[in-house]
Amino acid sequence: MSEQNDAGIDVEEYEDVWVFVEEHAGEVMPVSWELLAEGKKLTEKTGENLVALVIGEDLENVAEEALERGADRVLVADDPVFEPYRADPYGAQFRAMVEERKPSIVLIGGTHTGRDFAGRVAVPTHAGLTADVTEIDVDDDGLLQARRPAFGGDILATILCEEHRPQMATIRPGVFEPGESDPDADDGRTADDEAIIPVDVVVDEADTISEVLEREVGDTADITEAERIVAVGAGVEGDLGPAIELAEALDAELAASRAAVDEGWVDGSRQVGQTGKTVRPELYVALGISGAIQHIEGMNKSGTVIAVNTDPNAPIFEHADYGIVGDFADVCPELAATLADRDLTEVVQ
Amino acid sequence: MTWTIVVGVKQVPDAAEVGIDPDTGRLDRANAPAVMNPPDRDALEAALSIKDEVDARIVAMTMGPPMATPVLEEAIAMGCDDAVLITDRAFAGSDTWPTSLTLAKAAEKLGADIVLAGEETTDSSTGQVPPGIAAHNGWAQLTYVEAIEPRPEENRLVATRDVEGGYERVAADLPVVVAVAYGEFEPRPAGLHRKIYAENDFEPIEWTAEDLGIEDEVGLDVSPTSVGGMETVQPVERKGEVVEEIGDLADPITEVLS
Repeated sequence: MSEQNDAGIDVEEYEDVWVFVEEHAGEVMPVSWELLAEGKKLTEKTGENLVALVIGEDLENVAEEALERGADRVLVADDPVFEPYRADPYGAQFRAMVEERKPSIVLIGGTHTGRDFAGRVAVPTHAGLTADVTEIDVDDDGLLQARRPAFGGDILATILCEEHRPQMATIRPGVFEPGESDPDADDGRTADDEAIIPVDVVVDEADTISEVLEREVGDTADITEAERIVAVGAGVEGDLGPAIELAEALDAELAASRAAVDEGWVDGSRQVGQTGKTVRPELYVALGISGAIQHIEGMNKSGTVIAVNTDPNAPIFEHADYGIVGDFADVCPELAATLADRDLTEVVQ
Repeated sequence: MTWTIVVGVKQVPDAAEVGIDPDTGRLDRANAPAVMNPPDRDALEAALSIKDEVDARIVAMTMGPPMATPVLEEAIAMGCDDAVLITDRAFAGSDTWPTSLTLAKAAEKLGADIVLAGEETTDSSTGQVPPGIAAHNGWAQLTYVEAIEPRPEENRLVATRDVEGGYERVAADLPVVVAVAYGEFEPRPAGLHRKIYAENDFEPIEWTAEDLGIEDEVGLDVSPTSVGGMETVQPVERKGEVVEEIGDLADPITEVLS
């Protein structure tokens, strides 16, 4: 029985939670596994299937890993047209899959790639798309509660999509824990119950409207995965030496506030905060960071927070477990030396 | 051939002036002055830098109430040739779907070869509108763009995009929607004569939803998403202990690392 709502949509026709598994040349972005673990929690409540989507070329290993990490099924669009990533072929393929199979919920990592193509699915399907979500849940009717920071981060707004489907969200990397991979997870399926499903590729290279001329991706550290972080702000005034010395003593990754990135001292991929990344290290050392709310939003999942700032009234001290009023250029070498004396090198390696 | 470059600009509360309400401890935005979304200033600069190289006409557009006109005057002062105010009560409550539809229709009506915008706005920070414009019109898109190479002889635009852990160069067929990475295009100052012209003589074109033929496709009713509630974020409890000695900092660090 079909019952259309005011928007002309029968929401009952739509089921399952889809998670987009983002990969580039076989390398899976960690947020994909974070979303798969979080999507599992949603399907445990709704009783639906958790479906992973993989788009790219030569995807057997990625598809297998998605099953081992909890997907009930994997939809695979495997074709050279999808490598490297481009918005138009990805959008067209994803849209075709959505229109044919009608998922209720679609979760996409809030990476540059995810944020780039999500609209090319949501616009033509007239789906609801919520950006930069940091908390998700479903109510008893399967209605997605997508929460995102608003007004600079001191408000969490719940965004609903009541009359349109699918309910799509791009989700910030680093906010959820990835699940463990279980090699036996796909045991028990029979040959008729094939879990990896190749889908028809609807995109033709001749119809594409963009062309990747060159792509250079180094092995830049992913600060969202770091256990220890030393972050610098405007207060270091471009003098990174002491911060790097401390980071080395702690075996930590270097990160930065927006101010330090805007000054060009640190690469944008290492920016923590609302317009940067969300991190969750066990130790976060903030050097010369004043503590704007946009920055706090990106680091408040950290374990122990240490702040060093010359201004005793800097808001960062309220968001730190331990702070010291002083110049980072004096504090860092002394702290590194003190830690070295305690022979922490063995502990941290 | 003259390229038409359309730049989307938005009026937002000045994030630098958003204060803390001393009574509630919450952000006080009501008293913050309205300014141009800072990433959109970079988009204007990107448009002007294209015009430095190729024959082009630049039109700024904004969707908002008439009081948003100062952002268009600012765009004119920086060097835009014309500006459009898209204003109508029918737009009230629009989420990113009808917003990007509106801007897509306006860009089409202006005959845009290139649409430029900042990567996101500082007030709602969804980043969804530029890809939404491209999707509504079936145009190419380039987001997180750090550098632009116009290729008029190929009727394409080549851009360097930031991708996580690196960069890529992508060529896109025109028309194309470009969202520039914030901080990559240093906006040029407005000239005094342009400023005087923008503030005294310039009047923007005004379009309503009906002018764009979308009066039934905008506003709250057609927006797929709605706000279900707002909660204040409880700050994470921290010890907030300020110590005097380095050793007192080293102790908790040692504990974490052990």
